Amino acid sequence: MGFARYDGQSSPAIGGIAYAFPAASRTVGELAADNQLASSVETLEGFGFGQVHVAVEETPYDLALNAARCLLVENEIDPLSIGLLIYGGTPASLAFSDHAHAPDAAASLCTMSRFKYPSSRLQNELELNNAWSFAIDQLACTTLLGAARIARALCLAEGIDRALCVSSEFFPARAGREAIFNCTSDAACAVLIERNGERNRLVSATNVTKGYYWDVENRRDEIVASYFPTARHVLLRTIADAGWEPGDVDWIIPHNVSMRSWEILSGLVRLPRARLFSHNIARHGHTLAGDNFINYRDALEGGCIKPGQKIVMFSYGFGAHWTGIAVEA
Amino acid sequence: MSVSGKVLVTGASGLVGEGVLREMLAARPDLEVFAVVRNELRWRITARRLGALAARVIPVSGDVTVPGVGLEPLVRQRIERETSVVIHAAADISFSRPLDQSRFVNTLGSYHVAELASSCAALDRFVLVSSAFAAGRATGTILERDNGGEAGWVNSYEQSKYEAECCIRKTALPWTIVRPSTMVCRGADGDIQQINAVHRALRIYHRGLAAMIPGDRAYPFDVITSSYVVDAIARLAFDPAALGETIHLCSGRGALTLGELVDTAYEVWSEQADWRRRGVERAIITDPETYALFERAVNDTGDVRLRAILASLAHFIPQLALPKTFDTTVADRLLDEPAPSPSIYWKPMLRRLLQHNWGQTEEVAA
Repeated sequence: MGFARYDGQSSPAIGGIAYAFPAASRTVGELAADNQLASSVETLEGFGFGQVHVAVEETPYDLALNAARCLLVENEIDPLSIGLLIYGGTPASLAFSDHAHAPDAAASLCTMSRFKYPSSRLQNELELNNAWSFAIDQLACTTLLGAARIARALCLAEGIDRALCVSSEFFPARAGREAIFNCTSDAACAVLIERNGERNRLVSATNVTKGYYWDVENRRDEIVASYFPTARHVLLRTIADAGWEPGDVDWIIPHNVSMRSWEILSGLVRLPRARLFSHNIARHGHTLAGDNFINYRDALEGGCIKPGQKIVMFSYGFGAHWTGIAVEA
Repeated sequence: MSVSGKVLVTGASGLVGEGVLREMLAARPDLEVFAVVRNELRWRITARRLGALAARVIPVSGDVTVPGVGLEPLVRQRIERETSVVIHAAADISFSRPLDQSRFVNTLGSYHVAELASSCAALDRFVLVSSAFAAGRATGTILERDNGGEAGWVNSYEQSKYEAECCIRKTALPWTIVRPSTMVCRGADGDIQQINAVHRALRIYHRGLAAMIPGDRAYPFDVITSSYVVDAIARLAFDPAALGETIHLCSGRGALTLGELVDTAYEVWSEQADWRRRGVERAIITDPETYALFERAVNDTGDVRLRAILASLAHFIPQLALPKTFDTTVADRLLDEPAPSPSIYWKPMLRRLLQHNWGQTEEVAA
């Protein structure tokens, strides 16, 4: 499903992006030596991965707070102007735990601690006193794109001026660092959606959920096979819903999965002018928290994206969601 | 052409051999046939299917891979005396065999049968059942002649069939070479006698285990019915005008495009509510380079099941990206009826595959 076609005037926009990585990092080789990978170092390096960021001291909540605070400060946003806070990512039971204590923290689901919510705590610590807050879950790597879409819709439907979307994800100590041939980082990302933004308008979005693939372990092969045709469908639908032609797209802002998979998808989708912003795959690896927005910010800051250019973000969430968002820079 | 002697058939328990046997015996009430039988149990099953017609078949124990076709000397002498037509239909039709194994049955076997035929005192015709895909990787219009092997082949079956043709062309035998296309069903009702590479590939896509198909929507892909093939062979074997001819038993210019074949498959599959619920996205017909990139990625990951799936497709699916139209000028001249259009039987065949779950719930394979 997508949202209504861009009318050129009333499409909310991205007002700011900030992200936070933990202090520590590991190379692919180091991860392999620590038995954190399923595939070989050669395979993953061949797929474009170099290093990932690993939260050792930081909790997912720490990262989320850092990213959100950074966004507010950098953009000089009055906390009281935020009418909506959407949190996504690490569930409440793990959000306040560092990676070594995650297994114990998961047991808090069986206690009154289950009501300690990172969204509420963020609202409090950031003094977003006018913000209604809630969390979204089970969207995996499409969480922040999904949050942005919901925020956009609520800005339009309820006249909310500013919505803050925050996502934070991490992998507990022994959870492994590879998700279907992708090396993963811990990270948090915050995105501000403004109802009347001037630049970076959210023009269209497409979300496809295929519930048949919920059993990710037993349907893994089918998921791998379905990934490409569904991704192609979502990308082309996102472009069409934006009122664009494939030849109009200037940039693809990817989720940081393997370069090989992007080469294949590029061959299938055929966007003649589009360039892929792949700089961060080797530097950061794949973050569940919001690759697309992290990359978007870096592409903007690096001067790659020019005002008025047409951008498509795409991400796949294991479990199984395909999401595309079109942005006019 | 009247038949002065008996017909010798190899591969009589196979799809083509049995069909030709049935057609000939039904059309010619006085005809008697030697059937070279390698596997007695399989022959008994075939004979049961032939019913009363089997009474005019003389099964002789033999093996085309053995010099002299493994016949007892007295049996061989009788065959040499009484045979006027040889139809060599025995073949190893697996696409995935190592080349030496395919050659052992298809090329060397043809040589042995040709050697036997050359000893037949009153031989009128030697029919080699080859394959349209002996053309291998060649593209464009494939003529009914020796087109050479410069383009190479997709699999060992194609190559061994081409080499068998070369072997027969060099002999002084009164040969006719017939080249059937891929037989996907018996006739217009879509009934499937034998599961082959096309069916197996369709199953992989139906299950959503493969994402893309190399080729182009506009490329033709030739398939045919077995009833057309066996009828044609049963007639051509006795047609004087077929002597020295190479004949395509194919859809030819009537072949559907890859896009049409694929679209129809997904259309039929989407008739099933269970399949629709799975949300299987239509496989993308893409260029061979992108497909190869996907194959390479799967191979690099070392995923055993996905590798096995792609490996099973690899013996067949590259043909989809090698557009070719089989010329049927000779076939059209010699046979009164044109080949049936795949638009008649492709959809019923797809429904049969679903109905029988690719032969998993019921014995469909011959």
